[in-house]
Amino acid sequence: MKGLARTVAIRLVGGAVMVWIVATFTFFLVHALPGKPGDVAYEKYVAMGMNSQEAKAKASIIYGYTSQDPLFTQYTHYISDLLHGHLGISISYSGVPVADVIGDALPWTVIPILSGLLISFCIGVSSGVVAAVKRSSRLGSGLSLAASMIAGIPSFVIAILLITVFYTNMGALPYGGTVSETLLVDPGWNVEYVSSVAYHAILPVATYVLISYGGWMLSMRSSVVSVLGDDFILASELRGITPSTRMRYIGRNAILPLFTTLALSFGTLFGGAILIEATFNYPGVGQLLLNSIGKRDYPLMTGAFLLITTAVVLANIVADLLYSVIDPRVRR
Amino acid sequence: MTTATLTKPPRPADAPSARRSRWTGIRRVLTRKPGRIIGLSILVFFVLMGTFGPMVYGDQLAIDPDAIYQSPSAEHWLGTDFAGSDVLQATVVGSRYVLLTCSLAALFASTIGTTVGLLAGFHRGLSDSALMRVTDFVLTVPGLPLLVVLTTMWKFDSPLEMGFVLGVVGWGGIARAVRSQALSLRERGFLEAARGLGLPSRHIIVRELLPNIAPYVAMHLLLSVIGFVEAQVGLFFLGIVPFTSTNWGVMINQAVFSGGALQSPEAIFYLLAPLTCILLLIMGVVLFLDAIDELFNPRLRER
Amino acid sequence: MVRFKHFVAASAALATLGTLAACAPDSGAKNGANGGGVFTTVDANNPITPGAPMNPYSPNGNTFLSYNSMRLGFEKKNPMDANDAFPGLAKSWEIKGDTLVAHMQPDAKWSDGKPVTVEDIKMSMAIALTQGTASVGSGQLSEGLNVASVTAVGKHDIEFKQAAGTNNANFAKQILGQSIVPKSVYGHLVPADIWDTIAASQQVDAAQAKAAQAAVDKLNETGKAIAAFAPKKDVSAGPFVVKRVNPGSAILVRNKYFYDLGKIAPSQVVIRHYSGNEQIWGFMKNGDLDAAPFTAIPTNVLNQILAKGYKRADGTSYVNASIAFNQSKAPYDKKEVRQALAYILDREAITKVGQPVGGMASTAPAGMIRKSTEQWLGADEVGKLNPYAHDEAKATELLKGAGLKQKGGKWYLANGKQWKITLQTVNGFSDWIAASTVVANELTAFGIETKPALSADFGAYQTDMAAEKFDVGWWLTAVGADPRQNFQRLYGESDGFVANGDKVTHTEKKGDGNWMHGDETFTVDGQSINPGQLTASLAGLDTEAKKPVITQLVKATNQEVPVIPMWDYTNVKFTYDKNFTNWPKNGQDAILANQPGVWMMQGYIQAKGK
Repeated sequence: MKGLARTVAIRLVGGAVMVWIVATFTFFLVHALPGKPGDVAYEKYVAMGMNSQEAKAKASIIYGYTSQDPLFTQYTHYISDLLHGHLGISISYSGVPVADVIGDALPWTVIPILSGLLISFCIGVSSGVVAAVKRSSRLGSGLSLAASMIAGIPSFVIAILLITVFYTNMGALPYGGTVSETLLVDPGWNVEYVSSVAYHAILPVATYVLISYGGWMLSMRSSVVSVLGDDFILASELRGITPSTRMRYIGRNAILPLFTTLALSFGTLFGGAILIEATFNYPGVGQLLLNSIGKRDYPLMTGAFLLITTAVVLANIVADLLYSVIDPRVRR
Repeated sequence: MTTATLTKPPRPADAPSARRSRWTGIRRVLTRKPGRIIGLSILVFFVLMGTFGPMVYGDQLAIDPDAIYQSPSAEHWLGTDFAGSDVLQATVVGSRYVLLTCSLAALFASTIGTTVGLLAGFHRGLSDSALMRVTDFVLTVPGLPLLVVLTTMWKFDSPLEMGFVLGVVGWGGIARAVRSQALSLRERGFLEAARGLGLPSRHIIVRELLPNIAPYVAMHLLLSVIGFVEAQVGLFFLGIVPFTSTNWGVMINQAVFSGGALQSPEAIFYLLAPLTCILLLIMGVVLFLDAIDELFNPRLRER
Repeated sequence: MVRFKHFVAASAALATLGTLAACAPDSGAKNGANGGGVFTTVDANNPITPGAPMNPYSPNGNTFLSYNSMRLGFEKKNPMDANDAFPGLAKSWEIKGDTLVAHMQPDAKWSDGKPVTVEDIKMSMAIALTQGTASVGSGQLSEGLNVASVTAVGKHDIEFKQAAGTNNANFAKQILGQSIVPKSVYGHLVPADIWDTIAASQQVDAAQAKAAQAAVDKLNETGKAIAAFAPKKDVSAGPFVVKRVNPGSAILVRNKYFYDLGKIAPSQVVIRHYSGNEQIWGFMKNGDLDAAPFTAIPTNVLNQILAKGYKRADGTSYVNASIAFNQSKAPYDKKEVRQALAYILDREAITKVGQPVGGMASTAPAGMIRKSTEQWLGADEVGKLNPYAHDEAKATELLKGAGLKQKGGKWYLANGKQWKITLQTVNGFSDWIAASTVVANELTAFGIETKPALSADFGAYQTDMAAEKFDVGWWLTAVGADPRQNFQRLYGESDGFVANGDKVTHTEKKGDGNWMHGDETFTVDGQSINPGQLTASLAGLDTEAKKPVITQLVKATNQEVPVIPMWDYTNVKFTYDKNFTNWPKNGQDAILANQPGVWMMQGYIQAKGK
């Protein structure tokens, strides 16, 4: 097991380096954007009817958080803060730590992604087995073709189509927001709140299910097909081992490689959440990133971007480790 | 972007035989399943639409402030949009930007990816690991959020610029795949033979490796188009990319966010026209990929 | 812990999701004690920001004007009298020269039961002076509060005095318009000697300049600390107090200590979060909102909302959408060219596409919205203005007169280059974007090749605008009810006029947001005028004295066309007779210019079936 610990350590260090590179890259990228937080606010105040002097003064006071230090000094501060686990202070939330702002948004991204992933994994894997076993029949090839198509459809197209059918035409499901607006109960463990959240999550989760279904189904299918060619299966057919044992063997060996992909796709979905959250107006990290760009909230932008990247890095590490645990051949 | 279809590494095609037999082979593969022909026709249809559509219609959409969001009629087959322009015309004219951007993006991505992958796979050692670290970085940084941040800096005025940026962000997967192909070709003593003959590296890469990897790249190129359609149309849909002319993403954005297509049925055709085009395009690519897959993957024919 | 709760709740939701067969939870509004139910609305200026402080000085703070954030008075946006306001925490007031005496609501209390005191008001004014909503210090315009003193002159009477040497016609508006916050919550952030610092900052004496600047810096530091402050709970003197802020809504409950509780029907107010207009349409389509603010809205959606039973009440909105020019770039340096463009553009058609519901096509360029112009000039004078009605022959004549050439249906500049316009607009401004397509079409049809271009967002747009990267672009003008503010938009800093006290200087140099580059003087009716000087002079004039100056400015604007107004916005408010009744109606500008909280204080909005 010593080897495994070493692998983990190496991977984690590599991941940390990657996060540092991305943090550096985003920091400078974000500060190169045209427009300053104060300018955006100024024009908002003018449009609200303030005169230009008032608006200018108000914006300059409020956005006094924008540091005036040279960029490199700001950068060293930023990195040292990161090492202490601080993501900085948000500008547009004036004084609220970025970590808190992101923390509030995180569940709304993670929960739908996780539930969508698990549901699509179950559906995809089972239909993958069917498609593999029946691969010479019409059903099998039809299933595969459908899966490839669904896998190719852009996420927001699926989201819009779902909304059009279930909300606009049928009025059966809600869209937009996380809970019913007439709900006046405290967020937390109570039936009303939880069921309202779940009800509003149906369409976003369904979108995540659909965009990941195709991948699972196709991977499982090819995985099963390759296991079917194993010596064990050929031998078992000759020896008369019961079909159920054979199925168990097939299932176990075919599904193992998919777990690594499961970790990977969590990262991928995290990156794609922007589109889905924008469509459903879901207050997750993707939506946060979009809004922070419009307001030029540098710390929040870098924070949200870094979080998304870190999710991908961690997903990769977990996938690598799973892979080495699952496939003994990798462990040297 | 999306979980890509897992394709098995194809075996290198056998040494090129006579051209005629290759053509018959292609024809046979294409006609084996009707879906493949359909896929090819869809792709051809879109290429024609993107090429000649704007010529037929002219770039300027006619507007009619007195006929906003009209339902389909004899005059406007798919109704009209927010300015009273013809939706069908907007869809056709807008296709060029989408198709051109995605093809260019796929081209840039495959070129960069193939170059990096070949160099890494061929040279091994230090340059290999350096190139692969860069590839890791490109693969790690989530493409869409990065593009979202980039849009504020870059003016994606032309399909060329946008395609370039998309390509630069999205070549990681192809590089990895090409590298592993190149490595497996090495292992087969394929190169030692060439080396023994005293051929220069460049000759080996260009003349020996590349042809063997080409089909593989072609497949990835088509596959990556799917991802780029999502990224490109998605950015316009989010409404964060400044646009100068209409395209499918702009149409969806306008329909949803200012036409109320999700709230009222009037703008629904304006929304569905570009959506249908995207679905058709994806379908065409997927169906046609099936044929490509079989061409380069002879094992599939055994079934 | 709230976050953890969210997480747990969302996890629980996930757990039930698998088994949940779409059971729609129906949690209707629970009626309050006094038969008043829940009043649901959207605050257009303030989308809910979960996690942001309940602090009116925070840029995205969760305080909502007229519900839990109070002022002495609520501006009526009366173009003829900037100081006209509905009573708030002040029941009434008199203005005597440079002094304002406010008579406070005797029963005003904070939601924790403590009375609202003179000390609260005094401290709030001091905070205002640190927040830039009032100007301080030398080197700034003489138009802030210029408060020299705030003193109690009776049990419920407070006197505000202007600083010496200032003459601010909008003094009352400034005083009445400041947020009033409790000393018990904010007091610890305000240094005890703040009034000394303020006095030091208001020294205009050159010898004291250093000390004044130091005082200004100190005030700014205080201002920052206050803007970042997050009170633990909401303490409100308004009719409502925040109970909780969820990601999707802020929930406010009635403040039982409110001085005029009898008028307030709803037991709760729910302010919904929104991130785009189409969500507000969706809320209305479902009948979720009792009142909704103005949003850009397409006709098809409007019809759906009206069919649902919403009523629209149209008030005046003091802003219009214009197309502005950088007049240092040829050919826009010639007024004939700008006039010609005004003749070419058919504003009716442009408005139909751009702002079909919330816009009225502009006619004569005047620098103010049409309604204000009529009020100040009278119908006769307005009739004499050039409306620049669509007239292509006239445009052709003007352009040829300005030295441009027409060849083969295309226009060429005097230097022989083809005239091409890039019309710059901004992402997210859907009305501008839609209208741009029509503008481009009309101009291109006339022979001036025009393409719309978008900036990624307003931040980028402003930066590039100030850096003079655009020749032609959209701009909000005629902002605010105050004519001086309207003309400042045209003849202020963006046009190179810098006002310092009563002195106005004009600079041609670029930068500092100076991008319009209009001339320093115009010749109107045979006499030369300086628009920047005239605009600045409006500050100290009373209503009668303003009239001739405004007339001059309107005529100059109508002749010079620094911007071409496309439409005046309409303040369309939607109301829904579901739980409540008795709403403001069409044309009640003053009340419609305010939020529903003010409507309630004025006796509107009563529970149904009472």
